[in-house]
Amino acid sequence: MSALLAIQDVVTAYGKIEALRGVTLAVEEGSITCLLGPNGAGKTTLMMTVAGILRPRSGSIRFGGGEIAGAAPHRIVEQGIALVPENRLVFPHMTVLENLRAGAYQRNDRGGIAADIDRMFVRFPRLKERAAQEGGTLSGGEQQMLSVARALMSRPKLMLMDEPSLGLAPLVVEEIFRIITELHRDGTTIFLVEQNAHMALTVAHHFYLIEQGRITFSGDPGSLAEDEVIHRAYLGSAKV
Amino acid sequence: MLADLIQNTLDGLTAGAAYALLAVGFTLIFGVLRRVNLSYGAAIMLGVYFATWTSHHFQVGLLALALLTIAGAVLAGTYVERLCFAPHYAARDLRTGASSSSIAAMVASFALWMQFEEAAILALPKHLYAFPPLYSGEPLRLGSFLLRVESLYLLAAAIAVCLLLHTILYRTRFGLAVRAVIDVPMAAQLVGMNVSSVFVRIFALASAIGGLAGFLIAASHEQVTPMLGMWSTIKGMLAMMLGGLGSLPGAVAGGLVLGLLEAHSQWYFGPQMRDLIAYLLIFVLLALRPAWMTRWTTIRSAS
Repeated sequence: MSALLAIQDVVTAYGKIEALRGVTLAVEEGSITCLLGPNGAGKTTLMMTVAGILRPRSGSIRFGGGEIAGAAPHRIVEQGIALVPENRLVFPHMTVLENLRAGAYQRNDRGGIAADIDRMFVRFPRLKERAAQEGGTLSGGEQQMLSVARALMSRPKLMLMDEPSLGLAPLVVEEIFRIITELHRDGTTIFLVEQNAHMALTVAHHFYLIEQGRITFSGDPGSLAEDEVIHRAYLGSAKV
Repeated sequence: MLADLIQNTLDGLTAGAAYALLAVGFTLIFGVLRRVNLSYGAAIMLGVYFATWTSHHFQVGLLALALLTIAGAVLAGTYVERLCFAPHYAARDLRTGASSSSIAAMVASFALWMQFEEAAILALPKHLYAFPPLYSGEPLRLGSFLLRVESLYLLAAAIAVCLLLHTILYRTRFGLAVRAVIDVPMAAQLVGMNVSSVFVRIFALASAIGGLAGFLIAASHEQVTPMLGMWSTIKGMLAMMLGGLGSLPGAVAGGLVLGLLEAHSQWYFGPQMRDLIAYLLIFVLLALRPAWMTRWTTIRSAS
């Protein structure tokens, strides 16, 4: 296995405040890699930086060997990275079908796009039922499915997922994680940010802990007691 | 009495057809893109001046004049977009909906309005210039009533542009990108759309519509002054507001209603009162029914 995504000493700042203070990590090709950490640790900032929405102040982000740090978001999608953003961000005034078409915006193969939409409808039958409904009318779980399906429409090599379980009922969370393992089985590399450390550790091959903008632990599930991981993921490592 | 009413209505439709076409362009920029571009009318005026200047120096036909007006307006509109609006497409501005950056863009666009007027006056310093007529025959006779043929051209153009825009927004890949960028700019970036390029193309399209409107208006008035920018802005914005700020058919209806309102108030209350009454009615509408303005503000209603 080799690193599909290699992040080296990345610093991203909002004005003078550094949200990422030199992050280094790697996502192996074909893996499910998970990033855990408390609120405000920099998880979403890291996802936004990889996706090109935020520009890193310094450091390198290599994808499949090429440098992508600081590239525009549409260039990064071109490279084969798709982000399922925090809070899903479906297009609320566009139909489910149009949301999926938007996901395939950079593709020109009409036949392939139509076939992929059918494939999404098989994988997410609820989306098929709601194909003509506007994105904003879907339930939270359905919007998450749509957000995942929309990202898949670009046929990414690497899928970034930012807290896909946020605000969802336990049954829906289980479904989301079932889908994550299915996508992985189909050959997509997944880099997952989660608050739900327990669920994340059941699917991850490798995980990182991030605290205050720095990676503080890297290991396989099992290399650190789950209690300890959960404690640090929610509260940080400061001992009470 | 009834005869006057009918003739006034026909005159109102003539003016209203011009307002309708202007309002369609304004709706695209203000209602659909949600950008307060104060120099939109001035860009139209500059396009018309570009054509007028050419027709004073060279022998050009009507079609060439129309194309020159459109080209001039598109150039001016794109210039406005690059200078005033493009600096504010950074992720930070798009995410917050950034009131400070939209105010900066609005003020900058007002500065360009002044720039365009100065440029027009420098190129053609007299207050008034003749513009070749769109139609030089007799007006249409409907019984004892008269209807200007130009108004039919304007109305047909407004309806055609409406249908064309609807097709572009709902049937093309570019339209999908426009709607996505307006709906959730960050999500549009995440699916690989280039926000900046989508915006510059939609500004160019809106300016082309403005150029067409400017040409048809100048050619039916048969004259131009630098006040065309101010005139287009006021009439276009009022008609857009009456139509509900974001609905294309609403813009056409709003233009016609404004034209009728003006024609009838001029007849009953005199020419000095014409604008006053039109503005007063719009003020009352907005004061009593502010929801009217937000009723259509999502792109979904641009149908």
